[in-house]
Amino acid sequence: MTYQQTFSRRTVLKGLGVTFALPWLESLRTAQVFASQAASPRRMVCIFVPNGVHMPDWTPATDGFGFKLPYILEPLAPVQDDLLVVSGLAHDKGRANGDGPGDHARSASVFLTGAQPRKTSGADIRSGVSVDQKAAQAIGHLTRFPSLQLGCEGGRSAGNCDSGYSCAYSSNISWASESQPLAKEINPRLVFERLFTNRSSSDAERNRAERHALQKSLLDYIAADARRLQAQLGKNDQRKLDEYLTGVREIERRIERAEREALAESTLVAYKSPTDIPSDYGEHIRLMCDMTVLALQTDSTRIVSLMFADAGSNRSYRLIDVPEGHHDLSHHGGDPQKHAKIRQINRFHVTQLSYLLQKLKSIPEGEGTLLDQCMVLYGSGLSDGNRHNHDDLPVLVAGRGGGTIDTGRHIRVAPETPMCNLLLSLLDRMGASVDYFGDSTDRLWTLQV
Amino acid sequence: MFGKKAEGWQKSGAAGWTQGGPSADRKQGQMSFKQLPVSMETDKLWLIASNYWESIDFGKRDVGHVRPFVRVLYLVAVLLFAGSVRAEAEGDYAQALVPFLKTYCIGCHGGNAPEAKLALDKYLESSRIQTDIHIWEKVLRMVAARQMPPADETQPTETEFAAAQRAIVAELERFDCSSERHPGRVTLRRLNRAEYNNTIRDLIGVNFRPADDFPADDVGEGFDNIGDVLTLPPVLLEKYLAAAESVLNEAFARPELRRRLVPHVAQSDSDRREVSERNIVQFATRAFRRPLTEADKSQLFELRRVARTAGLSDDEILKFVFTGVLTSPHFLFRVEQDPAPDDEDGIRPLNDFELASRLSYFLWSSMPDDALFELARQGQLHQPDVLASQARRMLLDPKARALVDNFAGQWLQLRDVAKITPDPERFPSFDEELRAAMLRETELFFETVIREDRSVLDFLTADFTYVNGRLAQHYGIRGVEGEEFRRVALPEGRRGVLTQASILTLTSNPTRTSPVKRGKWILENMLGEPPPPPPANVPELKDEEELLGTLRERMEQHRTNPACAVCHQQMDTVGFGLEHFDAIGAWRDKDGRFAIDASGILPGGVEFRDASELMQILAEQKKDAFCRCLTEKLLTYALGRGLVSYDRCAVREILRRLVADNYRMSALVTGIVLSEPFRFRESKGEP
Repeated sequence: MTYQQTFSRRTVLKGLGVTFALPWLESLRTAQVFASQAASPRRMVCIFVPNGVHMPDWTPATDGFGFKLPYILEPLAPVQDDLLVVSGLAHDKGRANGDGPGDHARSASVFLTGAQPRKTSGADIRSGVSVDQKAAQAIGHLTRFPSLQLGCEGGRSAGNCDSGYSCAYSSNISWASESQPLAKEINPRLVFERLFTNRSSSDAERNRAERHALQKSLLDYIAADARRLQAQLGKNDQRKLDEYLTGVREIERRIERAEREALAESTLVAYKSPTDIPSDYGEHIRLMCDMTVLALQTDSTRIVSLMFADAGSNRSYRLIDVPEGHHDLSHHGGDPQKHAKIRQINRFHVTQLSYLLQKLKSIPEGEGTLLDQCMVLYGSGLSDGNRHNHDDLPVLVAGRGGGTIDTGRHIRVAPETPMCNLLLSLLDRMGASVDYFGDSTDRLWTLQV
Repeated sequence: MFGKKAEGWQKSGAAGWTQGGPSADRKQGQMSFKQLPVSMETDKLWLIASNYWESIDFGKRDVGHVRPFVRVLYLVAVLLFAGSVRAEAEGDYAQALVPFLKTYCIGCHGGNAPEAKLALDKYLESSRIQTDIHIWEKVLRMVAARQMPPADETQPTETEFAAAQRAIVAELERFDCSSERHPGRVTLRRLNRAEYNNTIRDLIGVNFRPADDFPADDVGEGFDNIGDVLTLPPVLLEKYLAAAESVLNEAFARPELRRRLVPHVAQSDSDRREVSERNIVQFATRAFRRPLTEADKSQLFELRRVARTAGLSDDEILKFVFTGVLTSPHFLFRVEQDPAPDDEDGIRPLNDFELASRLSYFLWSSMPDDALFELARQGQLHQPDVLASQARRMLLDPKARALVDNFAGQWLQLRDVAKITPDPERFPSFDEELRAAMLRETELFFETVIREDRSVLDFLTADFTYVNGRLAQHYGIRGVEGEEFRRVALPEGRRGVLTQASILTLTSNPTRTSPVKRGKWILENMLGEPPPPPPANVPELKDEEELLGTLRERMEQHRTNPACAVCHQQMDTVGFGLEHFDAIGAWRDKDGRFAIDASGILPGGVEFRDASELMQILAEQKKDAFCRCLTEKLLTYALGRGLVSYDRCAVREILRRLVADNYRMSALVTGIVLSEPFRFRESKGEP
């Protein structure tokens, strides 16, 4: 392995003048250095889109290999061979099951957890550990960041999100514990800085070991503080301090890691520091996709969740000539004009997915490409936005999971097959096997022929 | 509020429309018990009792010793009027609720093995409200949300639903608040983004706004300061560390700021350490918002020693220790101790420093100022008169602007004005300037209600507002030009915040008005009476012209499903009262080719011609519902937790004060500050 192209941290920090249109070319070898430790590890990306999908233009007409891409999936033509479209999955715990309305909130909170969220607008929020976090618990310690949570909408800042459910259920898909949703980062610049720059400029000159020793003393102090406080408080309060201490431990781990990998840290991909949130929504999504690719490519993490929009999002899609709100439209009442607009929005989202997949595919890794090592789960927790049904979900998996998924196919599972069967099978492939996940009843054996 | 409450508006008929809390009769000075629902009588007795309580209690820390007397007085009073009260209450219960229970509930919720272990057949004689209030809260929630009876069972008519809800609400109102104290328990709250920014501003002296880069705080109960919902993901702790470092670097680089943070200067090498430690104690005391314990100090001094051993300069040592302070849980969380095992009833009064923080984060979304700290140090802040006068002082401070940004921003959803997207083809006059002006108008109006201590009913009926040239043009008000806002009288037709462009636009679709959204918004946010959710899979109104006429005529033609009509009649009547305002809040006489008809008949047969009359009617006949709704929202915001059944008692008392003081804003705020949930903490409710 050679290091012909390495960039110092400083270069990247100052890097605004250095523009690389295709950063992955430059960073290729670096990525391989990182990845080589684990012989091309598998990666998991989970992408959520809101308000269901216009299913007649999503579901391929035929099963097996060689299916014709329906209208919404057409933008995926360049990566069709890397796709597995899975039809017929259901999330039973997204249904009311006695809790009344709130399908949008449930559709997001159940998407990766398979757990029935507790209906509460404030006290005692409860869902379940999400599949990405289950994986992070198993393999997160192998990378600088156990996982990343990204998104494009900052959650509601006022009012109610959905029928008596706290907004926490609508604006997060990753749950570290049943009571802790993980907030997502929506600003590409901040993601980049978190991944690749050292914020502490004051002591940048001091040598690394000394700095780390001080940082650790500081963390020791605040952790001791938190533990003393925790001993005095009630259970709900203790849980808050548990969250705090988890955060402390994660930073500690990263510092220790940085000490061990001084060399690795000095090499970085060359990528122009991205902007703050751009006004063009498509560009925003693509920047978040870029951040996803960079994080995976540099093995900063192997697990990313990404919400293209929050559950029930009523964003207007003027950039594709759909001025109406997405959620308003999704209650189409069978109106063909609204169907047409919804599928435009669905296709727009899939176009961004295609951008991500093509980027992943453009990066060689091992014998194949980065995409080959990935499992990109894409879908919505609702099927038809008008009926709010949680069966026949629009779901696809892209990437071959390190050769464990036979792609290029459309498979149909029996009606009411739990989506958790798929999630359970993804966990197996991430080296995070468990006996069951959510309401899983079996593994999804048909991922392979 | 109180879970998913949907009382009130469901009331049909004149009685329902006019009845409510304690205010209606008091305003007229009448004491004719027979015409009044039970709640008003008990409320009046409570008024007598609690006035006495206050008159002797000011300045005393422990109120326990007066309570038995209050209870006796209360009981005597209740007994005196018991005859008339009970007759009416039981009549309502027996006539409206018992048949409902028999017909629709006890088939499953009764017998030897009741569903969900909820036996309702034991309530056929009496509601047993005093012991079983939590059961009724739950029943009300399920009925109001139309979750019970289940869809596959025989359904009550809407009239039956409404009557049952009304009867349950009446039972809940009968609950005797003197029987037990329940101040409730707030989960440890971390500072949210606004609070973090403001606290850093007041602690350091410059408005750095580092939290603008933090991930969004999740919203619960309509607000982003709810302890249970404010989680702390690892990424946030990273941001706290980074923010602390960058803020302190900036502050230490600026001499005037550095002097503020490091006021004590060593005169010689020998007192370097002592002076340095004094600086640390001073900073941490303000940051933790309380005096430091010996343990706090020794930990911080140890941190200083570590930095010193590493060879840092004096300033770097302090920066390092201060970074520790700004990332300590004592800074990031608002810590309140739970009651000790020997506290009576598991309840303890908050100490003066805890109260100082409750006050300052309620009214300023920031840390206490020197005056509050000083009163806390003197042990005076918990005295009710001191608390109330501090609250009034704080409302007049410019920092009370935080109430506009954070409370009004969420109650009236002004934060969403930044996100509205009117269709540029239909509304070419909408631009960023107008968006900004809309927002500013409502902010200025809210500020005025606080600053001039106006009646909260002005939110409904004020005949003035604030406009600049752009907004005046939008409203068709002559003679106002330029960017500066000024106070103007409103033309006939516009009254209160509900006719301001901000809210009219927030409650519209991008392409047209939505009377349903407007009506629903008013029911939910102004009257606290959200309509039950729509059944699934309802066909939507089509935009094309297959039905003819104005939007109103088309909707009325469209509304043929009787299951929809019952609720929509309520929402739409109010919403159509605002039809003279288009989807960006401009006045219009016509909708397309058709003349606007903004008249309507409210439940109970009250007629109105236009928005002005509608607002007047709301302020007169729905005054109690409005005040209750506002009180519940503001109390939720002040406490940082959702309200639960026992909070009814606090709300009742706050409303009493509000009415007694002519609905003044300050009366509402002081009522909250003096309420038991605000001043006390209990260990019950802990899972």
